[in-house]
Amino acid sequence: MAKQMTEMLKGTLEGVVLAILATKPAYGYDITARLRDQGFTDIVEGTVYALLIRIEQRGLVDVEKVPSEKGPPRKVYSLNAAGAEYLDEFWKTWAFLADRIEHLRGEVAATETEGE
Amino acid sequence: MAAKWIEALTGSLEQKKQYKQAVARIEALPTPYRETAKALNRYLMYYGGVTDGDTIVTMFLDHADLWERAAVDETPVRDIVADDPVEFAESFARAYAGAQWIDKERARLTAAIDAAVGDASGGEPS
Repeated sequence: MAKQMTEMLKGTLEGVVLAILATKPAYGYDITARLRDQGFTDIVEGTVYALLIRIEQRGLVDVEKVPSEKGPPRKVYSLNAAGAEYLDEFWKTWAFLADRIEHLRGEVAATETEGE
Repeated sequence: MAAKWIEALTGSLEQKKQYKQAVARIEALPTPYRETAKALNRYLMYYGGVTDGDTIVTMFLDHADLWERAAVDETPVRDIVADDPVEFAESFARAYAGAQWIDKERARLTAAIDAAVGDASGGEPS
């Protein structure tokens, strides 16, 4: 169960994080906390950190360094135009996948009923 | 003038300075962050396969940022690396996959298959 969850999340977490940033800009810890609030309880900060670097390198977010009381400045991430476009694409792909998989489940259920 | 051709042989002096700064920042971290960051740095060097100096330096500076932040916030090491530090290190390194030595081989493989099936216009590797 946990293993399957990890594997499935790999393909979707980018979209999920961009969706979180679409509501408002945030820094790493914020994002992890918000993901946990959304029910992604097993997400660790390191996963989010690596993902943020990846989407930064790909130009999907803008980064602002905001001074913090202690330690190095915090990097605040916000969705930019390229990120919004990517997110739009993500929703379309997600809707397609969810629809097709549910359809398949319906077919399996129908076959099982026939068999009875 | 002299510095230029020396750098051509040894790599950029500026990059070396920045790399050393990243290492010094990690040395200055408290336990257990220092030990964790050092172990990860070693692995990133081996696994990263990044040939481009700028990318390596960016990666190590970001890595130092990450652990300084974690030390200040007192985030437990396990909350960062989880149960599988290898997975963490590799996904971290992959974020900088812009200029890896394997890229050349990937392009070569794609071109070889294109040539084999006579499809020079072959799709972009995704």
